[in-house]
Amino acid sequence: MLLTLNHIGLRYNQNRAVLQNISFSLAPGSFHFLTGPSGAGKSSLLRIIYLAEKPSEGNINLFGHDIAKMARHELPALRRQIGVIFQDFRLIPHLSALENAALPLRLAGAREDYIQRHTSELLDWVGLGDRLHALPSSLSGGEQQRAAIARAIVNKPKLLLADEPTGNVDEESAMRLTHLFNELNKMGTAIVLATHQQDLIQRLNKPSLWLKEGRLIAPFPPSAKAA
Amino acid sequence: MPLPNTLFNSAFQHQRLNWLLISVIAIMVYLATFAMTIEAALSLLTITWDQSVENHMTVEIPALGDETSMPQPERIKQTLAVLHALPDIQSTAIVPDQETAKLLKPWISDPELAKSLPLPTLIDIEIKPGSFSSAQSIEERLKTVVSDASVDDHASWLSDLLHLIRDLTFLAAFMLFLSGAILFISINLICRAVMATEKDTIELLHTIGATDNDIARHFQHHARRLSWPGALFGFALATLTLGLLSFALKYLPAASNIPAIQWFGLALLTMMVPLVAVIGANLSARFSVLKLLHNMP
Ligand SMILES: Nc1ncnc2c1ncn2[C@@H]1O[C@H](COP(=O)(O)OP(=O)(O)OP(=O)(O)O)[C@@H](O)[C@H]1O
Ligand SMILES: [Mg+2]
Repeated sequence: MLLTLNHIGLRYNQNRAVLQNISFSLAPGSFHFLTGPSGAGKSSLLRIIYLAEKPSEGNINLFGHDIAKMARHELPALRRQIGVIFQDFRLIPHLSALENAALPLRLAGAREDYIQRHTSELLDWVGLGDRLHALPSSLSGGEQQRAAIARAIVNKPKLLLADEPTGNVDEESAMRLTHLFNELNKMGTAIVLATHQQDLIQRLNKPSLWLKEGRLIAPFPPSAKAA
Repeated sequence: MPLPNTLFNSAFQHQRLNWLLISVIAIMVYLATFAMTIEAALSLLTITWDQSVENHMTVEIPALGDETSMPQPERIKQTLAVLHALPDIQSTAIVPDQETAKLLKPWISDPELAKSLPLPTLIDIEIKPGSFSSAQSIEERLKTVVSDASVDDHASWLSDLLHLIRDLTFLAAFMLFLSGAILFISINLICRAVMATEKDTIELLHTIGATDNDIARHFQHHARRLSWPGALFGFALATLTLGLLSFALKYLPAASNIPAIQWFGLALLTMMVPLVAVIGANLSARFSVLKLLHNMP
């Protein structure tokens, strides 16, 4: 399994539990929606998966490693195999679309010619081929979204986490994004896509993880395990 | 090329944190350069004074003996005779009247008035190195011929002075320590402020696989970038002030005893201050950021 969560619980500074008793597994190359009403804990669960938050209870097995048993300095290597698309994009304002998307490669110490070639090809693929050197402030919301997607997948992650990627874009952009995610998934990247847009879920016909008040209410659909 | 080192530029520019950092470093380096110079100069002074004063004593023969006694030249002759008979005395030298008058200058500024005063006769004696004659024993011998002669071995005023110097040295060292502490605290606070405003960027960097070291390196870069101009400015200002001060210090006889080679050493030591400040700023940033990151998930 790519990822296994066992009885995960989370509370922020001794407050009420935000997540309770969450258990599920993701197979390599699977595609899941993570859905539920606002405040149900979708973002919190994603943060736990990309290791930005330590669960208060339970344990995580990521890419075959028990996270609780890992030293702090061993985590970055795992994080590099996860791509994250933040709801607010988090592009660095003074770096061009190309430089923003290239950050993970630079961090990994890739060669300059590879960085330039691979990143511009990728931006071309997400439809930003003619905006490589534009600053985020001069990009539209949908274009910023795609630059953020390019950054999330530039490292060829095994697992892609997207938090409300279609929340802020129009219908047409949402369609294009869904298409992109589908393509990526076909190439073997496992995807978890948090959204509360039911139409999107129905259109793609993929299994869903349903959160309500911090609990996983829908039983894990058996068909998903096979996916 | 690793991550661009401009990632936190705007946060450091935010609310003029960069100017805050430059100013703090400039002030600290200014104070530390001062403290360092005082520290080094004082230790040099103690060494040279120790050497020049150790083997010397001063005999004082008051000018106004009682009326029945012999005249002053005779008293001096007798004193010298006794001194020369002592085995431990290397040499004697009568301090000229003008020199004695000069010693009064701080108290009596009118030279004519000073000349008209009945000045005591001072005889500088040099004791053979390694001998154990005390001022008291010499004085006792002298009193047999000149009843009001006295001998001063400088020990008491020297020890007072040495105490004072030791206190000043301690104070200067404490000032150096304080400068370092304030430097660390300021950098720690500035790093905290930047990390708070750039919380999302730091989470992003972690998410794309940055290590704590990768992130700390950015803050170290900024600490170095900003501490250089601050350190140089503070140092230049301190050197200027010290230059003006040393004009006045030049006329101190003790300062002129210090050989040029030691002044050179002192200057070299002082030039370490800005260098140490930059290295200190760098390390403070590293330590602060790693510590703060460690408390994050
Ligand atoms: N840093 C935090 N400190 C304290 N409470 C938090 C924190 N982050 C989230 N919460 C709380 O945890 C609960 C779940 O929040 P979360 O953002 O995970 O929900 P969500 O399902 O993503 O909601 P939305 O659909 O609105 O994005 C909320 O009640 C929220 O107030
Ligand atoms: Mg959310």
